[in-house]
Amino acid sequence: MQVSVEKQKVLPLSLTSRVLTQNRLVNYLWVLPLAIGFVAWEIVTRFSLVPQSDLPTFSGVLGVFFTSIQDPTFLLRIAHSFLNLTCGLTLAFSLALPLAFVAGSRNHFDLTLTPLVMLAGALPDLSFLPLLVLWFGPGSAAAVIMASLAAFFPIYFTVREGTKNIPRELFHVTTIFRSNRTSTFTKMVLPAISPYVFSGLRLAYDFDWEIIIAIEIATRVAGIGSFIEGTISAGSLESGFAAILAIALVAIVVDRVFFGTLESWARKWI
Amino acid sequence: MGAHVELDNVTKFYDAKERLHALQEVSFGIERGEFVSIVGPSGCGKSTLLKIMAGLDLPSSGEVRFQGGPVRGPHSKISMVFQAFGLFPWRTVLGNVEYGLEMRKTPKKERVEISTEYVDMVGLGGYEHMYPKQLSGGMKQRVGIARALAVDPEVVLMDEAFSAIDEVTADVLREEVSEIHKELGKTFVLVTHNLSEAVELSDKVVVLSSRPAKVKQIFSVDLERPRDRTHSSFIHMHKDILRLLKEELENTMIRHKLKGISELQKLHDMEAAGREDVKEHS
Repeated sequence: MQVSVEKQKVLPLSLTSRVLTQNRLVNYLWVLPLAIGFVAWEIVTRFSLVPQSDLPTFSGVLGVFFTSIQDPTFLLRIAHSFLNLTCGLTLAFSLALPLAFVAGSRNHFDLTLTPLVMLAGALPDLSFLPLLVLWFGPGSAAAVIMASLAAFFPIYFTVREGTKNIPRELFHVTTIFRSNRTSTFTKMVLPAISPYVFSGLRLAYDFDWEIIIAIEIATRVAGIGSFIEGTISAGSLESGFAAILAIALVAIVVDRVFFGTLESWARKWI
Repeated sequence: MGAHVELDNVTKFYDAKERLHALQEVSFGIERGEFVSIVGPSGCGKSTLLKIMAGLDLPSSGEVRFQGGPVRGPHSKISMVFQAFGLFPWRTVLGNVEYGLEMRKTPKKERVEISTEYVDMVGLGGYEHMYPKQLSGGMKQRVGIARALAVDPEVVLMDEAFSAIDEVTADVLREEVSEIHKELGKTFVLVTHNLSEAVELSDKVVVLSSRPAKVKQIFSVDLERPRDRTHSSFIHMHKDILRLLKEELENTMIRHKLKGISELQKLHDMEAAGREDVKEHS
């Protein structure tokens, strides 16, 4: 009897889906459409369905990509962009976190600050760019400030929301067990808002890649963005695409490693 | 010397203008090792009273004394169990139980030893490394109780501690709390709206009136433990308290109605006056 039940369970599954579930390959299903995309890209360019002056072949891009990542100046450009992004994100984080925490816990402060933050957030951040360039010159300073401006809002609003959502009872718990201010913040508030902090940071990080690249393209600040702009306008599309591929890789790896680790910690208890 | 815990004319207004009157001159004493329940109509201020006893809130006038000294903030010998458990979801069972000791800077090794002992006491041995999300409501409250006991308090305050748990689990947990009370000899104060629960667990049931809450009556429960809910004296006591509360509720409703009627009368008067005005003008 037991056996037939087992059979009934197994039978409807096809061989492929069994292999997939057993080997946890399901987690990598996303590779398939990506690979199909690359193959399609190779085909349309190889058979000149799209002129190669508009779109280089995928294999050509890969070739340039592998030579580029052995070139120190290319890597330095990526590092430069990444450093600007990280500085901007850190600056925004260190400003937004305390402000958002106070706004989330003190009503008067919230009513004073949040409408202003909303007003500022409604403005398209990039519209400040010419001013920043005027004041700070077309260099890393303008890029860092721009990146921190863009990162401020997602961090501010998620952290504020997280603080407001801390159950009152948890504050009673810290009081009853006579926790001091510092440990209430580090051992209760911070972990309680951490899932919000993580999603705010992640949003800000995604925003900031766009902002940084946009600034570099627009103002020729040294970095990978200006490299893309330079190579494409010089007609060397393969280098441009290789650079885009490199940014994508860095962005994804950092996202998976950094935010993936943080979120897997949070997933244990959420 | 006075009682272990003494409430002396505890009065509380919710607002500075003294309009929202929550507690009015509440006075009673709790002896060391006693199990006292506080019952009253919902919204009467029971929980506010417990918060004042815990030092989470201050009375507008009067005071709570613990071992003769006024309670004006959290006290190391007064601990609390919360209605919604108040567990830190990012900490494991053991981590949550350890929390109070951690705040007292107890060394890690000792902390783990003590916490493990209390985790075992509430029957959660083997669950030390689980997170609250993996536990049922009853198990979560066991963690809450272990955390409250781990700091070795003299008074354990329980705010509707069994009301967020399903009835069968709550019943088992009540029996265990009763055992723990007997075994440890600590003073327990339970705020509840469940009268059977109050009679089952307590040496003394304090009945509060509706807002502003005053002590309406104090019942001594001299029934043998473990208590049988089907025993006639249990049922009698339950009935007596219930009658008292119903009476209180009816009084409040009559008061509200009277207030309503007088306001209605005022409206009628105003309307009548208005009509006369119209008449005069025409």
